[in-house]
Amino acid sequence: MLLEVRRLTKRFGGVAAADDLSFDVEEGSITALIGPNGAGKTTVFNLISGFLRPDHGEIRFAKRRLEGRRGDIVARSGLVRTFQTPRVLTRMSVLDNLLLAAQDQPGERLGLGWIMPRRVARREREIHARALEMLDLVRLRHVSDQYAGALSGGQRKLVEFARALMVMPRMILLDEPMAGVLPALVLQLLDHVQDLRDHRGVTVFLIEHDMDVVMSVSDRVIVMDEGRLIADGPPQAIQNDDRVIEAYLGPAAQSESSGKGPRETPRG
Amino acid sequence: MDVFNPAFWTFVAIMAGIYVVLALGLYVQFSLAGLPNFGHVAFMAVAAYTMAILVVRAAMPLPVAAIFGLVAAVALGCLLGIPSVRLRADYLAIASVAAGEMVRYLATNLSWLTGGPLGSVGLLGPARFVSYNAGWQDLLDRLSRALSSVLGSAATPDRAMLLVVWSLAGALLWVFRRLERSPWGRVLRAIREDETAATAVGKHVAAFKLQALLLGAALGGLAGLLLAWQIGVFSPNDFEPTLTFYAYLILIFGGMNRLWAIPVGAAVFSLLYTGTQFLTFFPLSLVDSGSRAFLRLFSVGFLLVLFMMIRPQGLLGNRRELLLEK
Repeated sequence: MLLEVRRLTKRFGGVAAADDLSFDVEEGSITALIGPNGAGKTTVFNLISGFLRPDHGEIRFAKRRLEGRRGDIVARSGLVRTFQTPRVLTRMSVLDNLLLAAQDQPGERLGLGWIMPRRVARREREIHARALEMLDLVRLRHVSDQYAGALSGGQRKLVEFARALMVMPRMILLDEPMAGVLPALVLQLLDHVQDLRDHRGVTVFLIEHDMDVVMSVSDRVIVMDEGRLIADGPPQAIQNDDRVIEAYLGPAAQSESSGKGPRETPRG
Repeated sequence: MDVFNPAFWTFVAIMAGIYVVLALGLYVQFSLAGLPNFGHVAFMAVAAYTMAILVVRAAMPLPVAAIFGLVAAVALGCLLGIPSVRLRADYLAIASVAAGEMVRYLATNLSWLTGGPLGSVGLLGPARFVSYNAGWQDLLDRLSRALSSVLGSAATPDRAMLLVVWSLAGALLWVFRRLERSPWGRVLRAIREDETAATAVGKHVAAFKLQALLLGAALGGLAGLLLAWQIGVFSPNDFEPTLTFYAYLILIFGGMNRLWAIPVGAAVFSLLYTGTQFLTFFPLSLVDSGSRAFLRLFSVGFLLVLFMMIRPQGLLGNRRELLLEK
């Protein structure tokens, strides 16, 4: 197991946003985390990625304990996240957004640019080539020189996706990667996600509201409701799980729904 | 003061050069790393006082005392930065305002160490006037003599000072231009834009912020040393909080986030600030000089407001950049 979460708990005042959660994410899988609004999905992402400190519980990534470590350490260990509302660096160019994310640039150390200018320049060329490759992947090369702040919401999502890949992650956490992205691009992005796993060996863990996406792309689905894990299994089993249907549609709807699976309107 | 007196304009130009160094320190902290430092003047004061005290009391040679002055400014940066860089930017803003005022009040009230309100002349008590500046004057004299072989009688110690200050300012601008464009500068700009995003791609935000704060502190300290050498005598009143805001004005004037705008901003600011002294003609000649002093400051403020309304991006700034939401 690449990621192992055990008894993870986080309370905000009286509300348990994550309540004794235990689950695994298998290396080389695409795993989806779903649940109604307010179920605590983003909190789980924040806990895993080091942006929140858990009250209890363990997080193991590639056998390394990660709970309570700083976000940048988590990212450098190969576990990289994106955000629900994309966080692009608005007054920097799209290209710079990507260049920033590369690791092992000795020039990021103060003054090393003077001591070893050639190594810095060589690494910069490598990073640059890779950034252009990533921009081609998300079809944004034509805007590489524009300010990232001038892009649309969907394009920003793509920039963030590409930027996360620049870190060379072993596992990527995608928080609603498809929300606000042009429908035609969604299919492309889905391809990329699958390609990541198939050809680059990246493990994908994603929060997604679009059930068609979840059911078509993921190997496994984890369902949360009110901070607790209520189901965990392959998509087909989840679609027909009574507790999942109840969580999404309320107890009364259980008898009416049959095999259609839970569906929810994405929150803008 | 005569408008056509060259000595006066040499003085203005020297001050502009010192402002460039001061504003460059703030640029590294605020424009690059997004650290709102409202107590920049504290670094000047600490460096100037450390240098003067070591020269006068410990009879240290000037260069050594100057290095200790810079070290003291950086130490103050550590004191200020280590607890606050992990916090949100607003906390640093508050802490830095307080630090600036604390340094000035300490300088006023620790008379046994600093000479109190008398300032540097009273370093050994009010009965014995002392100066820390002999070494510097010596240096300028020697430099102007060396220059006189090239410039003839035009080489004066004042002009030597002008040369020293602006060469230093130019060299520092070049160095920081290179740093800004290096991968290091890219990380700092990213932190300015969005710390969370920088963390998410594996950058240790607090460490980078501390580096920027300390570099800025050293530059602030250097500006303090240059100011002390230029004016020859200083007191706590020379380190009023307004100096920090002059540095901000220079950044805003030239254009935020534009390194080469700093000398332009410093020149414009100095002209505006000193040039308004000559507004003595009719109808201003109708009011007495005391009221004119207030009118002058009022007109500086008025021109600034007008300028920001017409050109909010500054002289060399980028308007599009201003409009992008963060």
